[in-house]
Amino acid sequence: MEKQRNHPSPLKFWLWFNPIGRQAGGWAYILHRITALGLTFYLYLHLIVLGLLAKGPDGYDQFLVLAHSPLFVFGELLVVAAGILHGLNGMRIALTTLGVSVTRQKQLFFGLMAIAAIAILVFGIRMFTV
Amino acid sequence: MMAQNSPARYVSAPRAGENMWLWMVKMITGPILVILLLIHFVVNHFIAETGLLTYADVVAYYRNPVIPVMEILFLVTVVTHSLIGLRGILLDLNPARRLLKVIDGGLILAGITAVAYGVWLVLVIVSRGA
Repeated sequence: MEKQRNHPSPLKFWLWFNPIGRQAGGWAYILHRITALGLTFYLYLHLIVLGLLAKGPDGYDQFLVLAHSPLFVFGELLVVAAGILHGLNGMRIALTTLGVSVTRQKQLFFGLMAIAAIAILVFGIRMFTV
Repeated sequence: MMAQNSPARYVSAPRAGENMWLWMVKMITGPILVILLLIHFVVNHFIAETGLLTYADVVAYYRNPVIPVMEILFLVTVVTHSLIGLRGILLDLNPARRLLKVIDGGLILAGITAVAYGVWLVLVIVSRGA
């Protein structure tokens, strides 16, 4: 049962990400949780880094030189991908909560993930070529 | 009670220990964030003429009063959504009641700090362009 995995004892949080025996809903759950944690971490990191703006041109412009390295751009692509996946899967959660597409949840999930894959690909190509 | 295998069982609902209102705020801010993030992204990366790649660009960009208002709105919504979401994840670890109170206090403090800091930063940038 998927449901029981959602209530592990405190030190068994890794069960959230256990891939064995998952159905589509279980994979959606893993995806949503990982992207949630990643995006939360990024949000506060982003706020701290933007604090460089308060220090004036030197600090910020120096940081932006670093931000153009391929490793940094790849990190940004991960953030973009997490945002797209979490946002689109979140739309499924919002829609089904409103009673829309409840019996077609799997199809809705895979449809949204197909859109996400295309969007991530477009962003990836654009970020590494422009 | 819902039937064991009815599709409605797989629709999002408040967790044990999650206030219905908190859950509702999270559900409502989700789709709002999809829209705000889209605006945040399109405006910051495509409409901003030079792409905001230097300190001077950012300061000039914030002279348009719509920008600080939009960014603060985005900040408050995203911080709220992320902290309610994080609380939900922590609830899955079954914290003791007293620990949950400490967690709640910490999350509220983190939220207030993040918003206060963000608003301060926006005002600093706006004042540099005045």
